[in-house]
Amino acid sequence: MNSYCTPQDHINRRALLKGSLLTGAGCSVANFGSLFGADEVTKTAQKKGKRCILLWMNGGASQIDTFDMKPGRPTAGPFRPISTNVDGMQVCEYLPKMAKQFDKLAVIRSMKTGSPDHPDGIYHMHTGFKMSERTPHAEIGAVISKYCGNLDADLPSFVRMGPCGNAGPGYLGPNYAPFSLKRDGSMPTFSTNNLKPEVRERRADLFRFLESEFSKQHKAEPFEGHRLAKERAWRLLRAKDAFDVSEEWPKQKDRYGDTNFGRGCFMALKLAERGVPFIEIGHDNYDSHANNFVCHKANMQQLDPAWSSLLIDLEDRGMLEDTLVVWMGEVGRTPYINNRAGRDHYIKAWTTVLSGAGIVGGQYYGSSDEDGREVAENPVNEGDFFSTIYTSLGIDPRKKHFWGKRPVWLTPEDAKPISAIMS
Amino acid sequence: MNFVNSRYSPTVSIRSYLLLLALFYGELWSEPLRKVIDREVSAGWKKEKLEPSKLANDETFLRRVYLDLLGMVPSYEEAKAFLEEESEDKREKLVDQLLSDERFGKHQMQIWDLSIFTRKPANPSFTKDRDRFKDWLAKQFNDNVSWDGIVQKMILAEEEGSAMFHVQYRNKPEDETVAVSRLFLGTQLQCARCHDHPFEELSQKDFYGMAGFFVRLQVLQETKDKKKVYTIGEKSSGEVMFTGDVREQKPGDKGEPVKPKFLLGDSLNEPDLPEDFKEPDYKKIKKAPYPKPYFSRKAKLAEWMTSPDNPYFAKAAVNRFWAQFMGRGLVHPVDNLTPDSKPTHPKLMDALAKEFIAHNFDLKWFFKEILLTKAYQRDSAGPGEEATPKWYQRARVRPLSAEELIASLRVATRFDAAESKEKSLPNATKSYMTKIFGEPVDGRGNFQGGIHEHLFLNNGSQLPGIIRAKKGNLAYTLLNSENTWGGRMDELFLSTITRTPTEAERNRMVGYITASEDKREIQARLEEAIWTLLNTSRFRFNY
Repeated sequence: MNSYCTPQDHINRRALLKGSLLTGAGCSVANFGSLFGADEVTKTAQKKGKRCILLWMNGGASQIDTFDMKPGRPTAGPFRPISTNVDGMQVCEYLPKMAKQFDKLAVIRSMKTGSPDHPDGIYHMHTGFKMSERTPHAEIGAVISKYCGNLDADLPSFVRMGPCGNAGPGYLGPNYAPFSLKRDGSMPTFSTNNLKPEVRERRADLFRFLESEFSKQHKAEPFEGHRLAKERAWRLLRAKDAFDVSEEWPKQKDRYGDTNFGRGCFMALKLAERGVPFIEIGHDNYDSHANNFVCHKANMQQLDPAWSSLLIDLEDRGMLEDTLVVWMGEVGRTPYINNRAGRDHYIKAWTTVLSGAGIVGGQYYGSSDEDGREVAENPVNEGDFFSTIYTSLGIDPRKKHFWGKRPVWLTPEDAKPISAIMS
Repeated sequence: MNFVNSRYSPTVSIRSYLLLLALFYGELWSEPLRKVIDREVSAGWKKEKLEPSKLANDETFLRRVYLDLLGMVPSYEEAKAFLEEESEDKREKLVDQLLSDERFGKHQMQIWDLSIFTRKPANPSFTKDRDRFKDWLAKQFNDNVSWDGIVQKMILAEEEGSAMFHVQYRNKPEDETVAVSRLFLGTQLQCARCHDHPFEELSQKDFYGMAGFFVRLQVLQETKDKKKVYTIGEKSSGEVMFTGDVREQKPGDKGEPVKPKFLLGDSLNEPDLPEDFKEPDYKKIKKAPYPKPYFSRKAKLAEWMTSPDNPYFAKAAVNRFWAQFMGRGLVHPVDNLTPDSKPTHPKLMDALAKEFIAHNFDLKWFFKEILLTKAYQRDSAGPGEEATPKWYQRARVRPLSAEELIASLRVATRFDAAESKEKSLPNATKSYMTKIFGEPVDGRGNFQGGIHEHLFLNNGSQLPGIIRAKKGNLAYTLLNSENTWGGRMDELFLSTITRTPTEAERNRMVGYITASEDKREIQARLEEAIWTLLNTSRFRFNY
């Protein structure tokens, strides 16, 4: 399906104003690459309608208690591995539903990263760059919003809920800022309006009248940008029923799990169906410096139904081939268990999981040593990881942007996509 | 004064005559800068075959110059006074008046405070509360301290409040090198931090040479009257360590000490420390003053930087101030000055720098010369979509900063007239507003109207709350006016967007408000009309 042809996408106004580009399917495509020079990659990604759903494990999930288990080793902990639908791959006993989705998953067990704490790790694992750099890098949602989104769609192109990234749109600018739902998926402040619809409409008409008088003589781009943003904000109000899943939820809550995270995953599916190219759902809280096992057992019981149902539903709708589902947090957790039965932050060898959008499932990439202390083979850093994500979505990972005079790239110079897991 | 008929003694008269003669020829010898600017800017149009827009009318000029100098729109009374004045030189009078307005220093301070600290300052726990610095800086601008003087004071950090500049870079001499070069010398050095510059003659040695001026700085924090007070000290020993190209660096590499060197210039001549010199233990000093260093590197830096002979300082300054008013630098962006950079108007760049030095870096004089040019006073209407035309054939368009929006909302709605004491906008504090309106641009400075500001404006209760009729404010005054609705629209437009409405606008507005005869409905509709004007491009931008 081509998500850019859904009825929710109005014919884009900017393209009409500037002379529209028409795709094969007859849909208008925004010419918004013009801000930084026309961009072939943008158009390609749009036509393919690629999307990304990020399941963000806030605080940092434990790899050893989930996807990189070390049975029989002193670092193992109390959980047992179970087999999955792929020979030779195992997963924690508390992810039984995910065990049946392993043919879709590429499990990267060799993450070796550079920022050991929360704010800096969250930044690093949302941008691919260290927080201490003073350049305001754009986070993954903003990048995907820019390259896979359509500024003229009614719905925002970067939606998130729960605890998520901390970098924002950075050098890409406010057009790519996140639209942050509340934890329970309800709408953020300022997205409901108490005026009567007819009052809203007459006020809007008055605005349009004054602007049209002004625009007869004043052609500068900022004015046009101002009007377009105003219209987008009004259209969002009209399209916001997309965020209301209350009618379908009763039928879905047993599958996804009746939790904020489960509901968030279901909403992500619905928004992806309506062409939203990036949705991030944060899952709290994995930062188990104490009682790691209690915490992880509880979290996995929420994670398992939500994530597996999302993958099943994406596949059923034929959307998985265009939708990248990412599972990650800012850090992993220590192999050793501390005296509070906790695991602390660990960045020398940890795990992330990718599926969909051409990722070849049913395989491991890289590995850690027998106790999970070091990467044994194929280390992957933040840059490589983001390079893989962007490449699988049809975005050039070395796309150049600018912060003032300074060139900035989407990923660091030495970053390489993991071609072994991409078809 | 006439020599022959003078009642004064001949010697006095001769002296006066010679003085007049000198003034007359002086005028010829040095053409006023504003004329040089207009000549060079129009030479650019001719070269580029561009047609300039017409001159801005009084309303447009008035709003632009209020925002540029004071950071807010003019009040209804201020606007009326200017528009009704009939003298030929009323624009010059207005500029003079605004330059001596207290709000001038505060607004210039805000511009520089934001350049120096950005919306996300480094070292936030120290720099978050910097009112003393802000007061200090605003006073410098209001007292018309010369630009070299202000920069010297920031580097020397000896006046109360001025220390905050260094505090931001506490223990980070490399970061301070980047900032000082960028802000005051117009040059970007950050590339040379890790490797020799790929295109320019800047080497890593230049970078670390500059860092040597900051490496000895010490920051002392004390609490006075429950406020943090900072003192800057300078040690007499300590060097920057240079490890070479980061790509070839090995773990554990400590590097070689580098001596201070002026940017692309000489090494610092500095006396050796006496053999028996003992560095005080700075960690143990808990109270100001700090001991004086044996030799002050920062004093030498301040002297070199602000010297008329410095190859960057004056150019960097005029380029930045020019861009502040004209939308873009002659070298753009403003911190892109290098020995090889080519300004769009090379002769103009030289003239601006030369005259700025000749006038002892006098800011108010320099601002006035720019503001009184035809180049600054162009209209922003006309063909072309760029916000900041490269050849200045049209006036630039820039979004109002969060601070300007807050101040202008207060003025336009007459918020303060309806309050008995000074208070901030209800539920719209500064930190809140800067979150929404703080950074409305992308990485290249292009305006982007994100939906978030409109969600706030459209749906939030804040703006209607500020507008709502309350005794003394704009909505109240218009509702209770004796004037016709048509006449009241003139007051409404002038109060909010600093111009009178066209006939079509006036009719539409009157029709909108008086569509009902119900008093409460009229009030609601008037408030909607105010809301609408405050949402238009004419309010959002300085154009």
